[in-house]
Amino acid sequence: MSTETMKRPRAAAPGAAGNGKLSFLGVLRSEFIKFFSLTSTLILILATIVVMVGFAALSTWGIGQTMGMLASNPEMAAQMGDMDETVASLPASGLIFAQLIIGALAVMVMSSEFSTGSARSTFVAAPTRAPVFWAKALLVSIVSIVVALASILASFLVAKPIADNYKLPLDFGSEAFGRNLVFGVLYVLMVALIGLALGTLLRNSAGGIVVLTALFFVVPIAVGGFAPMVSWLADAARFLPDQAGAALMKMPGAEHALEPWASALVVAGWVLIPLIGAALVLQRRDI
Amino acid sequence: MITAELLSKDYGAKRAVDAVSFTVAPGKVTGFLGPNGAGKSTTMRMIVGLDRPSGGSVSVNGRRYAEHAAPLREVGALLEAKSMHKSRSARTHLRAIAATHSIPTRRVDEVIELTGLAGVATKKVGGFSLGMGQRLGIAVALLGDPQTLILDEPVNGLDPEGVLWVRNLARQQAAAGKTVFLSSHLMSEMAVTADHLIVIGRGRIVADAPIEQVIGGHNVPTCTVKTDSAVELMNALAAANVHLTRLDAETIEVAGLDGRAIATRALETGILIHELTPVRQSLEQAYMALTQGEVEYQSGGSDGPSPMTNTRQEQP
Repeated sequence: MSTETMKRPRAAAPGAAGNGKLSFLGVLRSEFIKFFSLTSTLILILATIVVMVGFAALSTWGIGQTMGMLASNPEMAAQMGDMDETVASLPASGLIFAQLIIGALAVMVMSSEFSTGSARSTFVAAPTRAPVFWAKALLVSIVSIVVALASILASFLVAKPIADNYKLPLDFGSEAFGRNLVFGVLYVLMVALIGLALGTLLRNSAGGIVVLTALFFVVPIAVGGFAPMVSWLADAARFLPDQAGAALMKMPGAEHALEPWASALVVAGWVLIPLIGAALVLQRRDI
Repeated sequence: MITAELLSKDYGAKRAVDAVSFTVAPGKVTGFLGPNGAGKSTTMRMIVGLDRPSGGSVSVNGRRYAEHAAPLREVGALLEAKSMHKSRSARTHLRAIAATHSIPTRRVDEVIELTGLAGVATKKVGGFSLGMGQRLGIAVALLGDPQTLILDEPVNGLDPEGVLWVRNLARQQAAAGKTVFLSSHLMSEMAVTADHLIVIGRGRIVADAPIEQVIGGHNVPTCTVKTDSAVELMNALAAANVHLTRLDAETIEVAGLDGRAIATRALETGILIHELTPVRQSLEQAYMALTQGEVEYQSGGSDGPSPMTNTRQEQP
């Protein structure tokens, strides 16, 4: 009798592991645990916000100084014209760093799985693979939106008193600032998703980051330099992700860009084709 | 229960696993033995779906691994030591894996306790020794309390106490009716742990039998004989299926005859023998014999003429 009761619970012990099934929400939770358990991730996110705020403060101060000097010269002040657009973009002036850091982070969300060998654990736990990829895509989207939003808003809070000091028209409610805010957030999101796709396709952090940097920094700069000499290059450049993105948001300086619907299509292509391609390759290739 | 049917894997032009078929039954420890590069790890990776088979199929409890609703509850796998991010703690690594199947944190702490990692659970995996990494890998395998355990070289890097622990764990799990599939290139380890052996060489199954049978199956009765008249004795014993080797001036190794037959023949021919020792073949020798055959078969097939060495002694 006593041995019977002693043995029963032990036989039923398998319940210790519960009876949950593999689910997308479970995989998503797993990805969040993995992402936020790395100190380096948190440092990079913090660095992004600090750099963004610092840049916004610095450029607001710089513009303020310049405007102060120009104000004493009525002729030049007249030439300056409308400053609203420039001032509204000041809180997002460090965006180039945010996209670089968040983009690199997105590459590594997948590539580090392969460089550390944790991919084996990850894909044995979720052998259908697709949920892992889309959970990572969702994670990267949430992180990039939150970080971009937080850093532009923090930048605004820091830049606002400086702008007020120089009587620069920085207004939270203005259409121009709202446009800059949405553009900044969506731009970082686009870079991050392309980064995740590159990390999945190349399975290599360095390679993924190099390609991503080339796509968003080197190629646009090279195209910008050669476009005046090679006429078709300017046309082609409109199809680059950064220009199409700018055109989509009707950012200034994008007057010669594609139609809005065409820009939307190009941006969607730049995001969806690598993402779907990466998901398919991940499904087929050996881990 | 693991069932492989004509399972193959090609890496480019190289065939790593060549149409292997086998069954790993529950309730016993099945050893998967073979030299490095024989295809053990590749086969195990195909079982859990990390590698896609080039041909054939493999199922666990009647289904492909990926088709199970709760794969971790079905199979626990230790594939390679340190399949984990160096900068995470052991506990976080386990928690992340547990989350996919909504396995409670209670179970995470349980397997940490079970594998003796309690003291280092919050330390970063990067500082772990190979042995601790191996224990963490086993903790991951046990997380879902699966019916089937697949352990690739589990005793690699473990200290003697750890080796004993893995051995007992495998035996306990098998005794509880689970399927335990354990690979090793160490024959001695298999001899004490496994009930059943699947021997693989060059991507092919060369033996699949209870362990006694693998050792016994290739066990031609062998004796060493000492005599002052070695040449005369060799002539007296020579026969079609007897393999004679002169070890030194007075020692001969006789394969294919037992002690009684040798002594009878010596008595009939009036040759004095002053030592007659039966040689018991070890698993190691059986394994060498098995995998050696596989190697020769392979190179003989591709290099043209068959090797002469094997047939020499069988000439009457």
